[in-house]
Amino acid sequence: MKDVLGTLERWTAEGRRFATATVVKTERSAPRGPGAVLAVSEQGEVAGSVTGGCVEPAVYDEAQAVLAGGPPRLVSYGIADEEAFEVGLPCGGTVHIFLAMTESDLVEQLGRAIREETPVALAMEIAGSEIGKQELVSLNGHFEPGIDGDTFYLPFAPRPNMYVFGAVDHAAAVARIGTFLGYRVTVCDARARFATRERFPEVDEIVVDWPDEFLRRAPVDERTAICVLTHDHKFDVPLLKVALETPAGYIGAMGARRTTETRNERLLAEGVTEEQLGRIHAPIGLRLGARTPEEVAVAVAAEIVATRRKAAVPA
Amino acid sequence: MRPGDVLIRAGELASAGEPFALATVVNVRRPASARRGDRAVVTPDGSVYGWVGGSCSEPTVVREALSALAEGESRVVSTEGSCASEGAVEILVEPQLPAPLLAIVGESPAADTLARLAAAIDWRVARGQDERADAVVVATMGRGDEEALAAALAGPAGYVGLVASRRRAEAVAASLRAAGVHEDALARLKSPAGLDLGPIRQEEVAVAILAELVAWRHARTPTEAPSAEAVDPVCGMTVSLAGTETIVHEGTTYAFCGAGCRRRFEADPSRYATVTA
Repeated sequence: MKDVLGTLERWTAEGRRFATATVVKTERSAPRGPGAVLAVSEQGEVAGSVTGGCVEPAVYDEAQAVLAGGPPRLVSYGIADEEAFEVGLPCGGTVHIFLAMTESDLVEQLGRAIREETPVALAMEIAGSEIGKQELVSLNGHFEPGIDGDTFYLPFAPRPNMYVFGAVDHAAAVARIGTFLGYRVTVCDARARFATRERFPEVDEIVVDWPDEFLRRAPVDERTAICVLTHDHKFDVPLLKVALETPAGYIGAMGARRTTETRNERLLAEGVTEEQLGRIHAPIGLRLGARTPEEVAVAVAAEIVATRRKAAVPA
Repeated sequence: MRPGDVLIRAGELASAGEPFALATVVNVRRPASARRGDRAVVTPDGSVYGWVGGSCSEPTVVREALSALAEGESRVVSTEGSCASEGAVEILVEPQLPAPLLAIVGESPAADTLARLAAAIDWRVARGQDERADAVVVATMGRGDEEALAAALAGPAGYVGLVASRRRAEAVAASLRAAGVHEDALARLKSPAGLDLGPIRQEEVAVAILAELVAWRHARTPTEAPSAEAVDPVCGMTVSLAGTETIVHEGTTYAFCGAGCRRRFEADPSRYATVTA
C-alpha cells in the first residue's frame, strides 16, 4: 500500500476516482504478501501490483467492474507452478484479493498518519453486512497484516524500538543488526565517555542516563526489543526489574551462566517472580558458538526473530 | 630486519586475505635469546618471518601456530623444558584467520538482503560463484538453482545453502540426489538454508541464514587438519613436520627441532633411531 500511496494522493488531488485491489491473504508461495495493492483509476491508469504479473490482467478487469458500480468483492486466484516460475516464484500458490472503491478522505488521512508517524491500521471489511467499508483504526495489536473475522487489518506502524543498554563493543554490532531488522535503535549508557556518536555513528538515538530511569519513561510495546549488555549488576538488576514491568516482546541480558544465576538471585530478592524471570533471555542470543561481537549480534538477532515469530528455538 | 617489518608483513597478509599466526614474546626468563616484544609471523606452510628465539623456541612456536590456525584460538606457549639452556620464554600465539568468504548466487531481493547483512557482520561477500568461497548460498528464486547448487557442491565450500520454500527445497534436494550427486556432497547441502526461526521478511530470512552460518563455522571440524607432528628423536621435543628439518633413515622419516639435533642424529643414527621406531 505504501508504495502506491503517493500516486493515490495525486489522483485524489486531481479529483479522480479509483478502485483498489488488495492482497488480503496468500497460501503457499506468492510474489507479494498481504497488503500489496493494485490501484486502477477511472481513466484506466494503474499503480502498484498484486502478483508481479500473472494475475494482473484479470484483477484489472475486476477493478473496472467495481469502478463501473459493481459491488466490492473478494476474489481468489490460483497461480499454477508454471506461471509462478515466470514471475520468479519457485512454485505456485493462491492469492486472495479484495476489490473496492477507496475514498479520497481515507487516502488523505492515511498519508497524514504515515508522515506524522502515528501508528494506525487500515481496517477493511471484506465480508458481512458492511463489506467494502474502510476506515483507519488504532493499531491495537495488529502489527502484521491479516484477517480477523470479516475485517482485514493493514498496519502502518512506526518502526519498533530496540533499546540497547551498555555502550560496549557488542552494543555497536547489536545496534547495527537491529537497524538492519528495521528497528529504531537507541543506545543508553550512564557513562557519557562511552555513549558517544563516534562510537555509535549509525544508531537513531544515544542517551546518557541511568538505564532503569531511561527505560521507565521510554515508550515500550509488544514489538520492543530490550538488549541488556551492561554486564554489571549495579545497572542490570534495576534495569531488568523495570523491563519486566513492560510488555516488551523481547528481553535479553548478557552474562555468563554464573553471572546470570547471581543476577537471578538478586532479582528474586527484589520481588521478581520465577515466572517473570522466564521472560529474560539469558545468556542473550541463540547458542551458535558465536565469538566476535558481530557473531554475538547475529545470535541476538536470530533469537529476536525466533521470539517474535514464536518459533521453537533450537537449544 | 627493521622493527615493524613483522607487523608490515602481517598487515600485507591480512589485507590479502591470507591466514597466518602472529607470535609475540610476552615473557622471558634469562638466559634466552629472545626479548619481550620480539615477534614473528608464521604461515600455514610452517615458515617463520621474524624472531621469537632460536632453535629451542621456533619449532614449538610453529607447531602451536599451526594448531592455533586449525582451531582458531589464541594461546600462550611456554618453551619450558624444551631448551638445553635454563632459560624459557612465553609466547602469545594469535591465529589471524581471514573473515569467511560467502558467495551469494542469484539476483534477487533475498540475495541482496543477505549480502547486506553478511557485510554488516564483516564477512567477505562475493556475488556469484567463487571457487575460494567457504560457504555458498543460492538465491536464484528458481532460475537455474539446481545447476548452481551442483556447481557449488562440486567445489570445496563447506556450506551450500538454497533459499527456497521448504517444498521447493526438498524437491531440489531430491532432484540432485536423483541426478547422481554424491551423498557426501549432499551432506553439505542446507535446503532450505537457515535455522528454522519461522522467518517471514527478507531481513529475517537473512538473519536465519547467517545464524546457521555462524553455528556451522564454529561447529565444523577444521577443514585443514593440523599438520602432522613428530618427536625429535634426539631431544624429545614435539615438532611439526611442516617447515622443519627431516631426514629419512631406513625408510622412516625423522624430524628435528633444528640442525643441531639433525647433525647429532646423522653422526650416530643407531643411537637415536630406536626412540621412535
